[in-house]
Amino acid sequence: MDGAKNRGGRTTISRTFCRWLLLIVAVMFLTSMVFAWIHQTTMSKSNAAMLLETNVGDVRQDVIDASDENLLDLCRRIAQEVDKGAAAESSGLFRLMEDFDVAEINLVDENGIIVSTTHPAFLEYDMGGGGQSAEFLCLLDGTETEYVQSYRPTSFDPSLSRKYAGVVLKAGGFIEVGYDGERFRQDIDRFVINAAKNRHVGRSGCVIIADEEWIIVSDLYGNEGENLSATGIWIDRDSMPENEVFHTQVYGQACSCLYIYSEGYYIVAVLPENEIILQRNTSLRTMGIAEILLFLSLFSLVFVLVRILIVRNLEKVNRSLTRITDGNLDEVVDVRTNVEFSNLSDDINSTVGALKRYIAAEASRIDEELALAKSIQVSALPSVFPPFPDRGDFSIFAAMDTAKEVGGDFYDFYLLDENRLAFLIADVSGKGIPAAMFMMTAKTVLRDYAERGDTPADIFINANSKLCEGNDSEMFLTAWMGFLETDTGLVRFINAGHNRPVLIRNGTASFVDQKVNMVLAMVEGSPYTEQRIQLNPGDILYLYTDGVTEASKADESRYGNDRLLKNLSADFGTGDTACRKICGAVRESIDAFAEGEAQFDDITQVCLYYAGNPGEGDGLSGPDERNDVLTEQLTIEADEGNLYPLLGMIGRMLEEAGCEAKAKKQIEMAVEEIFVNVASYAYPEGSGDTTVLAEIRRSAKTAEITILDAGKPYDPLAKPDPDLGMEIEKRQFGGFGIYMVKEAMDAVEYRREGGNNKLTIRKSWT
Amino acid sequence: MEIIKTCEGNRLTIALDGRLDTVSSRELEKELHAAVPGMTELVFEFEKLTYITSAGLRIISLAKKLMNRQGSMLVRHIQPDVMEVLEATGLSAFLDIEE
Repeated sequence: MDGAKNRGGRTTISRTFCRWLLLIVAVMFLTSMVFAWIHQTTMSKSNAAMLLETNVGDVRQDVIDASDENLLDLCRRIAQEVDKGAAAESSGLFRLMEDFDVAEINLVDENGIIVSTTHPAFLEYDMGGGGQSAEFLCLLDGTETEYVQSYRPTSFDPSLSRKYAGVVLKAGGFIEVGYDGERFRQDIDRFVINAAKNRHVGRSGCVIIADEEWIIVSDLYGNEGENLSATGIWIDRDSMPENEVFHTQVYGQACSCLYIYSEGYYIVAVLPENEIILQRNTSLRTMGIAEILLFLSLFSLVFVLVRILIVRNLEKVNRSLTRITDGNLDEVVDVRTNVEFSNLSDDINSTVGALKRYIAAEASRIDEELALAKSIQVSALPSVFPPFPDRGDFSIFAAMDTAKEVGGDFYDFYLLDENRLAFLIADVSGKGIPAAMFMMTAKTVLRDYAERGDTPADIFINANSKLCEGNDSEMFLTAWMGFLETDTGLVRFINAGHNRPVLIRNGTASFVDQKVNMVLAMVEGSPYTEQRIQLNPGDILYLYTDGVTEASKADESRYGNDRLLKNLSADFGTGDTACRKICGAVRESIDAFAEGEAQFDDITQVCLYYAGNPGEGDGLSGPDERNDVLTEQLTIEADEGNLYPLLGMIGRMLEEAGCEAKAKKQIEMAVEEIFVNVASYAYPEGSGDTTVLAEIRRSAKTAEITILDAGKPYDPLAKPDPDLGMEIEKRQFGGFGIYMVKEAMDAVEYRREGGNNKLTIRKSWT
Repeated sequence: MEIIKTCEGNRLTIALDGRLDTVSSRELEKELHAAVPGMTELVFEFEKLTYITSAGLRIISLAKKLMNRQGSMLVRHIQPDVMEVLEATGLSAFLDIEE
């Protein structure tokens, strides 16, 4: 999956998300655990405090209940005795006090006045007079029949602590019994011992009860009788308030403790610290596990959701975008799993739609421009046929069927003078506007040089260097250009890499055998050699571009040369009609061959019909001055390998000028000797070019050939002639070549001119 | 140029057909070095030789030098154009020529 691929080391969304989610979850977990720790610690402490408080409270209540019940029981029994009349006289109360071993008995009347007492100071004491005693007045208003008070300082003597209880008497009023701490302790110690013995605080905590003198009365571990301080607990009632947790070592163990002083007892609850911590830690552990489970499931849920809702959708969108980028503008993004992606899909689709419209608009604009360019290009070519209706000596016709786009084919023809028709066909590499522009330049350049009167070779040499200049786009063109001498039928031509034309003579078509030169605009300084073909009246020269021979059909087979020759081997009649027929027939046979396959290249044809001299006595029949002089120029690398092309050119020219055989051989020999000399010695370091200029006059029977090189200055004529009488054993062979040249030629001239060695030979023949 | 060699015992006949120019001279030179050792008689058949340059002359001289050491050399049926060159360069004076 492309979208999920980790591109260029960057992380994916899901991974980033995962990382951050993990980080956040971890931070949340830690934070919550810290809070939980603080909270649980506080909680455990307050729980411990509560636990201690409850236990202390329970024990205290037990103690109070026990002492209350004990005193009330005594009081009830005394009240029974009083009801029976035991208190008729004051001594009766003393007897009861001794019988029941209490500290004090008061008889209170309906008015709350002590009417009889074992404590003489209390006689006639109004119970409403003190806070502690006033509490007993509830027994007089009929709401209560019994009342017991906790052990506390008495109203009339705060230094004295006593516990009182009261019971209503049948005769009215009530009896109040009080006793001291020691007395009730004797009664309830047994109970108090049990109160702490079986009591556990938490799991390993306990309650210790000690009396006023810190003597332990109840303890889980059986330390009764020991001093409280022996356990490690020290209680200072002034600085340590009741019911508040304090920490100390109990039996060597750190503990939280809490005490209450009640009924003359110190009730201390003890809970070991480690139990508090254990409790907290247990809570924390439980909570941690719960949180880990919670966060894990949360993390997984979010991760899966991100994966499903975002990453997968992004991947889908990405895949679509990749297809769009690859050029499929018809791709539709359709991710509809949620509103956001639905909106994104719509946005992308509308953007791509807009892009498509712009591209279409731009394409149609380009199409219009191409059509315009095509019409400009076509209008630059001669298109009125027949172009020279008043010429009876030749007919020319051209047809160009361009492929879909602007192509690089072109043709041209024009009369240089009454007797010379220039005609050409060319094919620029590539297609489109650049090819069309290059074609216009090439057409103009060729025409300029042709009209300036250069020789065919010069036209191409000059045009080539012009077209090579600043040809950054590396374009080139193949061209075939001919110059027809209308009176003689001689066509001088240059072929720069183009297809061989077809000569149709007496109904038989054959390719014009020719030397093919370098294409134009490719290599600066390429040599171009003029060639000739003699047309007879009735001959037809057919030029074409590779759009003809390379026309293909579905199975990729080509139209080809043989088919062309076969189709051209026919009698097409004469003149303009013949030319039109030929172009039409070739086009038809291409269409028949292609079987509907689209034309992929321009198909361009030029057809020249040579009728010959139209009549006698029109002044054009005599030998033309221009035709009398054959000139050619050839620039080649000074290398022995180029000897034969050079000799070939010289030989052809001499033959054409009708040069006598021996003179021909001598001229060839001279050219060879000089060329080989240049090739061997002119450029000692590396290589260079030689230019050969040949001018041969047919009627004057003279040849003048100049051989130029830009090598080191060297005058071969300055060297003395070799000694001809020298014996063979002593002969040195340098100098014989040039001697032979001097002997064979009429004249040999050396000049150093503009950095060139220039050797000119002249020879005439009979 | 075509080089036709015929060997009868110690007699080697080399017939040249065409043009003995700079390029074909090199070829001939190679052939000579290969074929001449051990020969006592070398015959050049020039009946079909139409053209000769200084390079060709050099090879003829070279052959003559070689044969001077181990036997004799004869040049036959020289065409007039070629003969003219041999004469002009003075080489004909040193060769055994048969009409």
